[in-house]
Amino acid sequence: MKPDDPSISWVEPPELGLAGKSYLPLFVQGLTTTVRHLFSPKKTVEYPEQDHEIPDPIIYRGVHRLNRDEQGRVKCVACFLCATACPAHCIDIVAAESPWPDREKYPQTFTIDELRCIFCGMCEEACPVDAIELTSLYNLSGKSREEMIFDKEKLLSIYDQTCQAEPSRTQRSDS
Amino acid sequence: MPTVIIDGRELRLSEGERLNGIEAARRVGIEIPHYCWHPGLSVVGSCRMCLVEVGARDPKTGKVTMQPKLAPACNTIVADGMVLVTESEKVALARARVEEGLLLRHPIDCPICDKAGECRLQDYHFQHGQDQRRADIRPFTSRRRDIGDITLFVDRCIMCSRCVRFVNEISGTGELMVVNRGAHEEIDVAPGYPLHNKLSGNVVDLCPVGALADKDFLYRQRVWFLRNHKSVCTRCATGCSIWIDENQDRIYRVRPRENPHVNRWWICNEGRYGHSYVHDPRRLTSPVRRTAAGRAPVDWSEVIDEAPKRFQAARRPAGVISPFLTVEEAFLLCRLLHKWHGQVVLAVGPVPSTDADETFPGGFVISAEKCPNRRGVEAVVSHFAGGVIGWEEFLARAARSEFDAVWITAGYPLPWIDAEQASKPAGVETLVVQDLFPSPLSDRADFELPGAAWAEREGSYVNRNHWLQTARWTIRPPAGVRTEGSLFWELLGREGLYRAQAVLEEAAVEIAYFSPARGPVPEEGVQLTPPTADEPSAAPLSRGPTAIRR
Amino acid sequence: MIALMIETLVKFAVVVGGLMTAAAYLVLLERWIAAWVQDRRGPNRVGVPLTNIKLFGLGQPLADGVKFIFKADVTPRHVDRVLYWLAPAVVMAAALCAFAVIPFGSVLPDFLPADWGVEEPIRLTVVPALDVAVLFVFAVGGAAVFGVLLGGWASNNKYSFLGSLRSSAQLISYELPLGLGILGVAAAAGSLHFNEIIARQADSGWWNIFVQPLGFVVFIVAAFAEASRLPFDLSEAEQELVGGYHTEYSGVKLMMLLVGEYLHMITAAFLIVIFFLGGWHFWGLTDGVDSPGGDVVAWPAALARVAVLMAKVLLVILFFMLTRWSWPRFRYDQLMNLAWKVMLPWGVLNIVVVAAAIEFAGRWAAAWGISPAAATALAGWVALALAVVLTAWADPTTADNRPLRIPPALRGSSDET
Repeated sequence: MKPDDPSISWVEPPELGLAGKSYLPLFVQGLTTTVRHLFSPKKTVEYPEQDHEIPDPIIYRGVHRLNRDEQGRVKCVACFLCATACPAHCIDIVAAESPWPDREKYPQTFTIDELRCIFCGMCEEACPVDAIELTSLYNLSGKSREEMIFDKEKLLSIYDQTCQAEPSRTQRSDS
Repeated sequence: MPTVIIDGRELRLSEGERLNGIEAARRVGIEIPHYCWHPGLSVVGSCRMCLVEVGARDPKTGKVTMQPKLAPACNTIVADGMVLVTESEKVALARARVEEGLLLRHPIDCPICDKAGECRLQDYHFQHGQDQRRADIRPFTSRRRDIGDITLFVDRCIMCSRCVRFVNEISGTGELMVVNRGAHEEIDVAPGYPLHNKLSGNVVDLCPVGALADKDFLYRQRVWFLRNHKSVCTRCATGCSIWIDENQDRIYRVRPRENPHVNRWWICNEGRYGHSYVHDPRRLTSPVRRTAAGRAPVDWSEVIDEAPKRFQAARRPAGVISPFLTVEEAFLLCRLLHKWHGQVVLAVGPVPSTDADETFPGGFVISAEKCPNRRGVEAVVSHFAGGVIGWEEFLARAARSEFDAVWITAGYPLPWIDAEQASKPAGVETLVVQDLFPSPLSDRADFELPGAAWAEREGSYVNRNHWLQTARWTIRPPAGVRTEGSLFWELLGREGLYRAQAVLEEAAVEIAYFSPARGPVPEEGVQLTPPTADEPSAAPLSRGPTAIRR
Repeated sequence: MIALMIETLVKFAVVVGGLMTAAAYLVLLERWIAAWVQDRRGPNRVGVPLTNIKLFGLGQPLADGVKFIFKADVTPRHVDRVLYWLAPAVVMAAALCAFAVIPFGSVLPDFLPADWGVEEPIRLTVVPALDVAVLFVFAVGGAAVFGVLLGGWASNNKYSFLGSLRSSAQLISYELPLGLGILGVAAAAGSLHFNEIIARQADSGWWNIFVQPLGFVVFIVAAFAEASRLPFDLSEAEQELVGGYHTEYSGVKLMMLLVGEYLHMITAAFLIVIFFLGGWHFWGLTDGVDSPGGDVVAWPAALARVAVLMAKVLLVILFFMLTRWSWPRFRYDQLMNLAWKVMLPWGVLNIVVVAAAIEFAGRWAAAWGISPAAATALAGWVALALAVVLTAWADPTTADNRPLRIPPALRGSSDET
């Protein structure tokens, strides 16, 4: 595209005036802003001693969990939509025929590499059955890379831990 | 010259050409949506998706008169002066209504349906459907029924009857049928007669929705993860054009690729499901050298250093060129052995075969000869050796201790040699065996080299009708394996990476048989001239025009 | 002779030790200020090693130093080894050398026994006798450019090289306004000796900032640029460019380069204080026995002079640090425009005004009925106002960098040609 292409609309910079061109007002303005912040209250949360306050755990994007249905089975139908949506390619699913008569497909294995994950929440958005959700657990740590690759059992156990405090989306809409 | 007007665009047909509305529109770049019509099958006009406005232009006045009702394009043979309108409001409304009707009882279980991503119903719904359902009476999951080779998801079916027509017209086995009437129509098989024939896999490709699912592929991958590569099937001498669908160097499925000169739209089940050997854990993955101390894995560099010395020092070396090698690889190997030793004896490896070709009513042929490239390899060998020595003759001469250094290439997907045959080469000081799997022969080899499977190779195959097709590699070989082409290329001291195209060019210049393959080979392949009359080429695939039945 | 050597060595140890500690803790201070300005708390965890005592993070500099020392010191294979090792040494040496002549106080009263042979009063400068101290600082500061160039060249990396070109062009450009700023001060003091410059300001009670405001502005801007501090840190520009001339450095060598740059800032702060802010002088606190700037002092005044000097330097350094978060970085063309089109003329104007004031201040004072110093100051402030207004009017630094456009009215005719 050439600079004189008619589709470009050029924005003219504002006229500064004599005071503006002398830099003095902005010089003072910059310094006052800095000094004001120097003495303003600090926003830092001193994490290990203080806990992070989560305004709304429902929309927080922390560690994943795999939800269970009413019968305690994994809700996931292994459609791979989360793996498709995942921009970090951290979800790995092996699908199989489900052992239950009312379901066609289920995840034989379901692993999330939490180290690769960028916690964008796209998997939760993509899931057609609300099986994968992000909890409000944020203090995630491990001593090895292997430990941070969460398998199906681990993800289901996170559901068991958090289902009371954070009901899944379907449960919320029921109530 | 007959002229048809499609959406205001003029299409000139050659005399005597018979096209229906869909094919004619495709010529001018317009895609008319359709489910039930398939160029390889008869026309039923049952899905009503291809409804278009049809009219005629008066040749004298030029006045166009449209018919009041829409007509199915699949069943409308275009004629001079015909006018088709495919994008009018009337047509769009008709398509939306057809989509709505089809989706009325469709489970819409796309997330767990293997067809999702390449499903006509999905695609057409996005293009032509309405954004809202007015009725919601769908079941939540599709009933599943095992009908033999294939799994049927009953409720996903849109009753296009392509599969029924296929088993009637192409495979000629007729297992499938439509049972019940009206809204209760279902595809089924008669009790005790499951869908079981050598072409049954094709109904999965034919199915425009996810009703027929491949048992081999079911739930293994979502189709959008797969990368499709053009390739050539090597399971018999027919040499069907195929798609290899692969993800991260693992083949998940093989599908037919349309090629009017070879296989048209079909492949057999052997080619479709016969790819698992590529990922067999028993495959050889490292060169193994046998010394007095025993057999031990070695580095490729040792092979590349040692093999030329052994063959150059040999009194009478020999090479066995497998009919599973591509033309390029065979050419490089012959050239290599010839360069090492001027007196080298070249033979063609064993040609596995069954009793007779199998021909199906639709014209599809499964060759008795179960190797892809006997003709190509024979042409190469006779160019270098002046004649072709068969496997039996080679074994007989080897048993008489005629050879002291032998290079045997194999690459057969199935076990190909027994202990008795393997014991025949006697007095061989250097035996090099290049194969996919361990065999009685490779156990005796001084150098056991892992070979590449067909999807890992690059090169050309000449089929039973002297039709040459080129395939590029689609997956990388397992770690430790070198493809034959790259090994021979390096042994010949050539620069850079193995380039099959350059080798084929070379062969086409040197060998008259391959001369039609000069320059880039088209996707469909090229016809080579049969060398002599002594070997009659198999009858060409019968290609009758698509029957239009009422 | 021996006594002089011992005296010098003691002062040397005090200066180097003090500087290194100061540099380390100034880094901590800078990180604190950066944090506070951004409403954060800054480093507050590292305290006494192996305990849980945090001490507001005062152990951080130690931890940083240990980390730097124990980091892998990579010497890339493609570098010119000799120059690559030389560059940090040059930077560090040049930065430290400057402090040989910079006073860190005034004088101490006589307190040593006479038979020790130490010449008293002891001056708080490592090399107090150098008459051309200002020139020395200037020369040594110029040598720092060598370190930058060597580092960039020896790294054999295009990013390092471009970074060093960027830096050296900036440093060399701003040496002119720096020199012009000093020139006014030296002319007014009639000496190139730091003690003399401070004593003159103390004696008159008029710091040079009040008398030569234009010179102060020119000098402080140039000093910022010479120290590569924001808004002039084009040599690093960590947010937008690849490192700078030290891209290929790591470990201790990187630390030396960074500390060298930090020492530049401290040097600059000392010079600003000495040249323009009265050095160790504060009215009523630091007066000598016979004159405010005299060498004969009592202990309280002598200590007060050290304290005042350090306090002023700290304030200037705080200003340096606050500036970093107050204004955005200049674009490179703006940087050069500022040096050549603004600071250079201002410096020249300052010299003219100062020279005129030296010659005519007595007559102006008589004519206006004020003291000569006040008359000089008046002339200086008038010059500053004039310079600011004229520059704002002429606007030499604004450049339209957008692509050249042809107005629509002319476009038709230009197509035909």
